[in-house]
Parts: sequence; structure tokens; C-alpha cells
Amino acid sequence: MSLIHPTAIVSSKAKIGENVSVGAFSIIHDDVEIGNNTSIASHCVIYNGARIGNNCKIYQGVSISHIPQVSKIEDVASFAVVGGGTTIHEFVTIHKASKEGNITSVGKNVLLMAYAHIAHDVFIGDNCIIVNTVQIGGHVHVDDWAIIGGSTPIHQFCKVGKHAMVGAGFKVVKDVPPYVLAGEEPMRFIGLNSVGLRRRGFTAEQLDILKKVYKIIYDSGLNVSQAKEQIKNELPSEPLATEVLNFIDGSIRGIIPR
Amino acid sequence: MVEIHPTAIVSSKAKIGENVSVGAYSIINDDVEIGDYTKIGSNSVVYNGARIGANVKIMNSASISHIPQDKKFHNEYSLLFIGDNSVICDFTTLHRGTEATGKTIIGENVTISQYSHIAHDCIIGDSVYIGSFVQIGGHVEIDEFSVMEDFTSVHQFCKLSKFTRVQATYKVSMDVPPYVCVGGKPIRFVGLNTEAFNQHNFFQKKIDSINLVYATLYYSGLNFSQAKDKLKSDLPNDEVANEVIEFLNKSTRGIVGK
Repeated sequence: MSLIHPTAIVSSKAKIGENVSVGAFSIIHDDVEIGNNTSIASHCVIYNGARIGNNCKIYQGVSISHIPQVSKIEDVASFAVVGGGTTIHEFVTIHKASKEGNITSVGKNVLLMAYAHIAHDVFIGDNCIIVNTVQIGGHVHVDDWAIIGGSTPIHQFCKVGKHAMVGAGFKVVKDVPPYVLAGEEPMRFIGLNSVGLRRRGFTAEQLDILKKVYKIIYDSGLNVSQAKEQIKNELPSEPLATEVLNFIDGSIRGIIPR
Repeated sequence: MVEIHPTAIVSSKAKIGENVSVGAYSIINDDVEIGDYTKIGSNSVVYNGARIGANVKIMNSASISHIPQDKKFHNEYSLLFIGDNSVICDFTTLHRGTEATGKTIIGENVTISQYSHIAHDCIIGDSVYIGSFVQIGGHVEIDEFSVMEDFTSVHQFCKLSKFTRVQATYKVSMDVPPYVCVGGKPIRFVGLNTEAFNQHNFFQKKIDSINLVYATLYYSGLNFSQAKDKLKSDLPNDEVANEVIEFLNKSTRGIVGK
């Protein structure tokens, strides 16, 4: 059973799951799929290309899959995907991808707080927390369990590794490696996100390995490529070390300094 | 006479005062009380738990008494109070309390500009001015006549005492004692809020004792606990000194440095 308010405008072509509720004055366009048990509050607009999972909570005034803020763009057949269990607070804007067939992706169980902006072609992993007024530029990649503090913009094409935590009120202009705390202006490495990691069940041994890895990167006086070599030599078969190395290899804008 | 636009959805259970006006496409939920002469603009939603005073102006697309962005929140009953004569501008989000205190309180004559966010369990004193895009975290207390300039943000559990001013774009992460102006990254004491002294016609005697107290606190080379003892011995019956000492005692996050 769907609970659609009489004043809501829901396209008959939209694929709406079971127990979906749509609040007053919300608009759902044609090419939209919404999973079961998702609730959409009042004054929301879900544009063409939106693919929303199950059990999502979407609150007042949210705009999903809107045309990206790219100059001279025309309406393209691209997508904005929102994973299951995600909560989207008031006035969040999620834009669809800028090229045909591409997707902007928000993972599962993500918390997007009020006024956050997710631009075109962005990837947000699972279980992330994006706090109020975080403005995420185009093509940004935020990995699983990352937390972005309030009022922190992220420059386009930046990457934030998994379990990283970025402080509130700063700005991300380079890549933030996984498992770290980042903050200050210009954005720099502050330490390991040990509280977050312990909460998520990382063992003391795993934390020690990560400490060693980041000590080599940030405290040894080596540059990043030398540090990479040293990590490869000292911690050859550690999955966590390899993960950090892979992140550095995949980094285009360079990682944040000390 | 109550003026409700024909497209507005106003619950018959809501207690609406005299001469209240509700704009187009606005929604008033069941458990709401609105005082006399209050105006609510278009597209605004007033959720359950709102207790709005008299002669309040709420502009368009505001979200009043929405459920908090707290992961511990489990739909408990809580309230949001807005005092008389307050002005709530466009797209603001004011969230109700959680079980910690059960209520968010916004005082009388408060101005909250567009896109600002007041989180759960906050206490905003009378005649506080909150600029645009100000994001205030949970459990924050801002005392009367304080000014938050545009784009500022406040970390959760911070306390800002009366007649304080936060300079535009900066982030408050510590407690701010009365009568001071703070700014910079990280946040620090930048001087006294002399503008407020002129605006509110402070007596010269009071301004002198404010000068004396903050000279001891920030320019005597003493740490805060030593400065507190010195204030106690030097100015035992001074009103300002006692206010500052009281604030230092109740501060949980520590007061801003110089």
C-alpha cells in the first residue's frame, strides 16, 4: 500500500515500491524508482533518473536527481542512486551525473544532514555521515564510514578514504587518506581516527599497523614516493598497508600534507 | 481573523491563536500551538511539538520542530519553543529536543536569518541575532543579546554567554565568556564587543569593569584559574567579575584563548 498525499504529484510511470509514503506538495517525475518502505516528506521533488532504495527517509524540501550545476549542460539521461536505509534531512540537493548513463551514487545507511549538497558524478560510500551544509563538488569520492564535519566544502575530484574523519569548518582541497583525522587550514593530517576505528571494532594490532604506516608517510621525513617504498619493504603483506598504498596510487590531487 | 490560504494544510487539532496567517502550501501538523498575530509564510512546515509564541514571523520554506539529526533519537516526545516577536527567515531548520532535555528553546525577539540551523536541545536567549547560514550544533546555549554573524557555526555543547559576537565565517568550538568578540581559526578572543556597549547604552562604569576583568583574564600572563582567583580577590563585589567567574565555573569545554 502506498500512502500518497492527495496534493502530491506522482507520475503514473514512476516505479513506486510498497508502503512508500509521499508527503504533501511533493513531486515525483516519470523516470523514478523508489524502493519499499521509503518515506518522502512534503515539498520534495524527485526528478528523472532517481533510483532510491528501500527504507530511506527523505525529509522536507529535498531535491534528488536534479540537473547538475555544470555550465551549458542540457538535460542528460543520467542517474542519481540513493542506497537503502539512507536518511536525507531538509533541503539536501543531490544532482545526477553530467554524462549520459553515468551515476551519482549515495551508499547505504548514509546520513545526509540539512542543506548538504551532493554534486554530479559524486560517489558516497556506505555508512557515511555528511553533516550540515557540507558542499561536495563534482566527481568527489567519499569512501565507506567517512565522516565530513559541518560546513566543510570538498573541492571537485577530491577523494576521502574510508573511516576518515574531516573536521568541521575547514575545506578539503587534496585527497584525505583512509583511517585518518584531517583538519585545519590548509587541510592537513592530524592523526589516526583511532576513536572511530575502535568503535567499529578495529583491534589494537590493526591500529598499530596503521600507526606505523602513517608514521612512515608523515613523520619519517621521506617524500610520499619514498615512504611508499619503505611501507612496501617494512609491511609487505599487510592488507591495511596495501589499502593505504592503493589509495595513494589512485590519488590524482595528491594526499594532504602533515 | 485567522487567514489560512486555501492550499495550506492546517490540522484541526492544532491550537491556532487569533489573527494568525498561514501562507500557500504550508503545513501545520496536529500537536502545534501558535500564538496570536503570528504569520507563517508559504511552503513552511510546522511539525509536531512546536510551541510558537505571539507575533512571530516565519518566512517561506522553514522547517519548524522537525525531528533531530541525532542517531540516538528514537521518536520520543519532545518540544520546540519559539518566544514572542521572533523572526524566522527562509529555509531555516529548527529542530525539537531529544530525551536529554526534551526541548529546544528559542527566546523572544530572536532573529534567525536564512538557511540557519538550530539543532536539538539548544537554548537561544532573548534578542539574539543569528545571521545567514549559521549552523548551531546540539545542546548549544547562546545567551541574550549575542550576535552570530553570517556563515558561523557552533560545535555541539558550546556555551556562548550574553553580549558576545562571533565574527563572520568562523567556527566556535569552545565556550565564549560574556561581552567579548571572538574570531579567527582556531577561535580566539579578538576584543570586547564594544558595538554592543554602544547599542545597549552601557554605563561607563560597567565598561571600565569589563575592561579590567578581561585585562586580568587575557593580558595578565596568568592562566584562567589563576586569573579567576585574582578576580575574586581584586574585584570581590564587582557585577561583571562575578558574571565572568560564574561563566568560567559552568564552562564545560573551556573558554576561548587569546
